[in-house]
Amino acid sequence: MRPRHLTLGAFGFAALAASLLVTNVAAQAPAGIAKPAVASAKAGTMPRTADGHPDLQGNWSNATVTPIERPPGQPAALSKETVAKIEKGVVDRIQRLAAPSDPKRDAPPQGGDGSTGAAGNVGGYNNFWIDAGDRVAVVNGEYRTSLIVDPPDGRVPALTPEARERQAARVKRFQQFGEYDNPENRPLAERCIASFGSNAGPPMLPNYFYNNNYTIVQTKDHVLVMTEMVHDARIIRMGKQHQHPPAHIRPWWGDSIGWWEGDTLVVETTNFHPQQIFRGASDTLKVIERLSRVDADSLLYEFTIDDPATFTRPWSGEVPFEAQNELVYEYACHEGNHALSNVLSGERSQEKARDAAKKSLPRQ
Amino acid sequence: MMRIAFSILAASLVLASTVPVAGHHAFGAEFDPNAPIKLQGKVVKLEWVNPHAWIHIEVIKDGKPEVWMVEGGTPNTLLRRGLTRDSLTLGTELVVDGYQTKDHSLKRANGRDVTFTDGRKMFMGSSGTGAPKDGRDSTEGGTKKPGGR
Repeated sequence: MRPRHLTLGAFGFAALAASLLVTNVAAQAPAGIAKPAVASAKAGTMPRTADGHPDLQGNWSNATVTPIERPPGQPAALSKETVAKIEKGVVDRIQRLAAPSDPKRDAPPQGGDGSTGAAGNVGGYNNFWIDAGDRVAVVNGEYRTSLIVDPPDGRVPALTPEARERQAARVKRFQQFGEYDNPENRPLAERCIASFGSNAGPPMLPNYFYNNNYTIVQTKDHVLVMTEMVHDARIIRMGKQHQHPPAHIRPWWGDSIGWWEGDTLVVETTNFHPQQIFRGASDTLKVIERLSRVDADSLLYEFTIDDPATFTRPWSGEVPFEAQNELVYEYACHEGNHALSNVLSGERSQEKARDAAKKSLPRQ
Repeated sequence: MMRIAFSILAASLVLASTVPVAGHHAFGAEFDPNAPIKLQGKVVKLEWVNPHAWIHIEVIKDGKPEVWMVEGGTPNTLLRRGLTRDSLTLGTELVVDGYQTKDHSLKRANGRDVTFTDGRKMFMGSSGTGAPKDGRDSTEGGTKKPGGR
């Protein structure tokens, strides 16, 4: 068997429908907003903005190898020794994938190379493009095996019967159309409209692939969170005097209202867009996020998903956000997106081939 | 036995982290598994763009030059490692294996494995171990410590 040099195939990230539509947005956050030069919050010197609130501004990353859901059979937390072995394994894998190939290698196998998911049997591209994170998430000194902390088993709660029916109806609705019939039938990420999965959220979760970076900008009246994938900007109105808009107004990342509870930024989001369905949630989904500074280099991001029409109970997670000494770059996706036209022209080309093959068949 | 048990645990944790995400496109929707291809040629253009970079290489087929476009990943990750579009000099000869687009009238393929002619991975092998962000190469940019530490 040929050695595998690739990531997409090995990782096999499945195409998913989720996603939302979005205009590609607002202002690129000012370049150079790196982590603020601050002292440790633990030392009692919480960095604050001019209006006295904790200063959460800067560039942050939530990349980690800890999955959203706990793999079956795992404890909630790992020992330091086990984590060291896991993280060494990640680094070893990166090095293995960076090793030279045989320059006299053949073309890959006819019929596909066995890759799964989005690599779709053709193998994706080299691992050096990938930056998925190489650390186990640590919260309160615990090496976590899942980002979900409640329910205690670290798993997304069961769906309600109503949610299962809704999902079945959605699948049936999409089956009326060919998945390659037109651009509108393609996933929002493929169309450069929204980020991978729930990267921009809410909840803001790592995509386990690359560009898991965020820029936070605060003013007295608003907090902006710009997600590098796909340059998605959430604008949070500050103050409990604000109200969510009528139910028919559905922005791409929902409508977010924030306020301070002590030194914690709390954000409530409702009015999610119907094409941005978070794990099959209903239009009554409510997400509560809490962001607080742990120290000069990290934030704790907590989220709670509340949607009784979808999940049999609310569920919550905790994700460390680490300060970045690096820039967050613009992700001008649509400008260079040859892939969408390749996908559609590929299907048109294969339709013609299928039609030609039908015509060449002898008549009965 | 312990070693096996640990390997399984580590693998399950890491692999489980690769939850479904919507890639910018399913490569399986774009490229034809029945059209494997091996290309060798000189770089004539580099589209250093998102969502994915495209490398244009000129190959010689039946004595005539032919330009093929090869799809890679996001340049943002490489920018953070100090690599820019000037890091790949025009005229550099590359070896590529991948699959051609489903539309065979296009001369395009995925860069399943892109190397220099000596087999080193493109963008790799110039310093340190060659592994991106393995912590052993002080020339790599950034001090990111993802994961909560």
